[in-house]
Amino acid sequence: MPAYLAFAPIPAFAAVLFVSDDSPLVVGPARLHLTFALDLPGALLLGVAALLWITAGAYASPYLQGRPNRGRFAVCWLTALTGCIGVFLAADMVSFYLFLAMLTLGACGLIIQHETADAWRAGALYIGLGLLAETLLLIAFVLLAMDIPGDGLLIGDAAAALPTSPHRDLIVGLLIAGFGMKAGLVPFHVWMPRAYAAAPTPAAAVLSGAAVKASILGMIRFLPLDTALPHAGTLLAAAGLFAALYGVVIGMTQRRPKIVLAYSSVSQMGFIVAVIGMGMIAGDGRAALAAIFYSANHVLVKGALFLSIGVIAATGRRYLWPMLLPVAIIAVGLGGLPLTGGALAKIVVDGPLGDGAANTVATLSAVGTTLLMLQFVRGLVTTVSTDQEATAAPSLFWPWLSTAVASLIVPWALFLAVPEGMLPNPLAPELLWKALFPVLLGAILAAVLWRWVRRLPHIPEGDIVVVLDRCVKIAPAWGKTVEQAEGMLRQWHVAGISLLALTLALGAALLAQ
Amino acid sequence: MPATTVPDATTADGALLVLAIVLPVVGILLSFVLGGRCAERIAGVLLPAGLGVACIVFLKVWQGGEPLIYTVGGWQPPLGITLRADGLSVAMMVAMAIVICLIGVFAHANFGSRAASIETRAPLVFWVMLMAISGAMNMIFIGGDLFTLYVALELLTFAAVPLVCLDGRAETLQAALRYLLFALLGSILYLIGTALLYGSYGTLDIVLMSQRVHLEPATLAAATLMTVGLFAKTALFPLHLWLPPAHAGAPAAASAVLSAVVVKGSFFLIVRLWFDVMPGLLSVAASQLIGVLGASAIICGNIVALRQKRLKLLIAYSTVAQIGYLFLMFPLAFSADPLHLQYGDALTGGMLQAISHATAKAAMFMAAGLVYAALGHDQISELGGIARALPMTMFAFGLGGLCLIGLPPTGGFLAKWLLLEATIATGQWWWAIVITAGGLLTSAYIFIVLSRAMGPPSAPLTLHAAVPKYQEVAALGLALLSVMLGLVALGPIDVLQVGRPEAPMVQLR
Repeated sequence: MPAYLAFAPIPAFAAVLFVSDDSPLVVGPARLHLTFALDLPGALLLGVAALLWITAGAYASPYLQGRPNRGRFAVCWLTALTGCIGVFLAADMVSFYLFLAMLTLGACGLIIQHETADAWRAGALYIGLGLLAETLLLIAFVLLAMDIPGDGLLIGDAAAALPTSPHRDLIVGLLIAGFGMKAGLVPFHVWMPRAYAAAPTPAAAVLSGAAVKASILGMIRFLPLDTALPHAGTLLAAAGLFAALYGVVIGMTQRRPKIVLAYSSVSQMGFIVAVIGMGMIAGDGRAALAAIFYSANHVLVKGALFLSIGVIAATGRRYLWPMLLPVAIIAVGLGGLPLTGGALAKIVVDGPLGDGAANTVATLSAVGTTLLMLQFVRGLVTTVSTDQEATAAPSLFWPWLSTAVASLIVPWALFLAVPEGMLPNPLAPELLWKALFPVLLGAILAAVLWRWVRRLPHIPEGDIVVVLDRCVKIAPAWGKTVEQAEGMLRQWHVAGISLLALTLALGAALLAQ
Repeated sequence: MPATTVPDATTADGALLVLAIVLPVVGILLSFVLGGRCAERIAGVLLPAGLGVACIVFLKVWQGGEPLIYTVGGWQPPLGITLRADGLSVAMMVAMAIVICLIGVFAHANFGSRAASIETRAPLVFWVMLMAISGAMNMIFIGGDLFTLYVALELLTFAAVPLVCLDGRAETLQAALRYLLFALLGSILYLIGTALLYGSYGTLDIVLMSQRVHLEPATLAAATLMTVGLFAKTALFPLHLWLPPAHAGAPAAASAVLSAVVVKGSFFLIVRLWFDVMPGLLSVAASQLIGVLGASAIICGNIVALRQKRLKLLIAYSTVAQIGYLFLMFPLAFSADPLHLQYGDALTGGMLQAISHATAKAAMFMAAGLVYAALGHDQISELGGIARALPMTMFAFGLGGLCLIGLPPTGGFLAKWLLLEATIATGQWWWAIVITAGGLLTSAYIFIVLSRAMGPPSAPLTLHAAVPKYQEVAALGLALLSVMLGLVALGPIDVLQVGRPEAPMVQLR
């Protein structure tokens, strides 16, 4: 069963390549039906996500060899895959919510796969925050449904009705909170390091790459980017930029490659959210596609980096550098190394970011990301196989290599598909320097800081979730109090008094009219 | 409404309603006549026949768009009594019939009557009571006057109480006695209210009374007594003292009937009382009070469920919490703003919640029973390994849990969506908070149970007894049904509005 995981996403990838007409697929009667459609943002994310699911699926089969619970892994994998693809295709709110929930459940199963104490804790945290986010989104969706004229539940209709909704601010707040939690926006990022550390490597790759982008697509679908909402946009941009820097800073204190990558995801997702926020401030619809482009690049880069963890771990020191060099290029590419997808993504988002403070923070974030990625590579070196002559099995190597190549080629293919003149020439000298400068600065800082890194205080993975852990220990006391009160209520004399009191109260309430 | 209306006449297929009640009664009589060994076989024939009748009635009401009516003996109310099946009736009839049939399949393993074995009490009691519950529930759903409903209510109580103590242990006998005493207290209150109404209006027929009823102290006193009595029978918090020991102590099949079916009977009567007998008389203050009770049930029931060490008690307290959702529909349906009366969404959401909970909870109790049979205990902390030993069982439990949490595509999700729509339409945001908080608390204990079950066992796992595959299939069937209930939105959800007034009832003063 796990051997065939790579094949399941192929229809989705084919749909992106071959579907050209934009007529939606409608399932169900007129009163309440599910609608699926493929538009440009959905197609972009669906394409790169399907690509990653294919390569990670191929990677998962040898990775799971000899490990327990392979059947359950396959079930959870396919559930998460269905949810992920469904989210990108859903055109109405009910199906969007349905597939989002499916994605959450499947992902939770992948996270707890190894059944360690850490895995259970990570799964509980993930499902708890996931369901909380979905609860907020559900309320937002119901509010939106009330505003849509007629009986439809199309996302497009909901987004069109939102700017003039009497509950606009409440809905926008709920959407930002719900999708923000899904995106790992600080302070709701705490699930990311724990989940990605606990999940098997191929699962971490698809979760950090593809699955988390559902929240970005959700923001783009629902938030009114064509109408200026300065306050909400400012809030979103500030939160995003804070997360972009916060993820880098905390990530620098981590040692394990998986956790470093997790904090990098916190940072990158925050950055993408900031782009959307800047778009909301100005009412700039371009921010949507810019965020999608950046997200698409991140899907493949993160996926490749996660898969590389397993490949490097299976490689001996003698063959390390031929393997490590492409990893380093891809990693630093996230910081915006010229000619990589990261640099192209930076060019695309430059417009929405404007020329002010946001752009400055973006540059700082690029420096920090470079620093963090070099830290990742350095941590990766420590995980090489003890067998000097070891090489990764071809069944692990080729999926990783495919993802790596795709992460370098696909961004260029997308960039070149943009009509001429809409974006600056990426090969212009001033743009090359603008991209190279933060990377150089990051590298210099890395060289300077390396001797100090080991002296940084060790912050537990999940950082502020430690506070949450302490709250969790207090909760049983409250539960015990409620339980004791309930025990009292179940005594005969108390029940009799309750019956009498309830009769009097209800009678009084009825008479009061 | 005009002061006088021609009373309802028997419709073309009204005789089916008689059949829905007579079939189980015939089964009970035959069981006594033919002897205990035959009870299971008789139930095996008549319960599916009852389901068939329910489905036919459902189709006729749904396609015809009109209630089915039967006047007993041809005498019109107020002299005679009427049986009447509207949308609410047929939806509940079909749902409860399906649940009861699948519980019957499940119960075969524990209450089977084998020819070679010595005849014992429990199988005869179980099958007779199951048929009695089936008949009583149908009577509740299609009874057209308050006294017939009282008879049905009493029949339901006396059929349910023996199920609690089928195994004859002292603890379960105590739980059954507690249940009986509190239920009788509720019945007395209901009966007093009925007498007051009869004294005021000279009739107990629901349709006639809805035309005559008006605001006066005697009416409100009657309504209060009847409602509180039914609260006690439904185990609405804080009148829930009898439910957890009764539902947790009964055998698995009996627990499933009690939790899924029996408590819905008295709840249905409360709906009949306030939506049909005296529409428009429920004041805002009273409806909010009912909502507060429901909210308290949701929060406290879920928290105490989280604290339980035993699986069956956890599920029993989950029932206390889920009952709270049913009562949230009263503040949503009767709100202060007359321009925004939302009979449709709130009523549909509440009834859908009742049906979804019935299917999901029956599946979960069945699963818990199988776990107990396999392990010899149901300690939650010691469930490790059971998911590998009984994957179908835990899958059924998980699906039932999905429905209780309210995740799509389950019926619980659709109910939650409709209730949330009603909260927004009426501007009562505080009930939305309760609904969502309840979902999160529910997800916490579902996750705890499933993670324990999927974890490794602390000691090598040895099953005490083999679990028949058909029992697992019955549990899984109900769980899948609860998941697919969300799809009724694509079809017959509108049946619930059949027989309801087209416009909200104007408050009578």
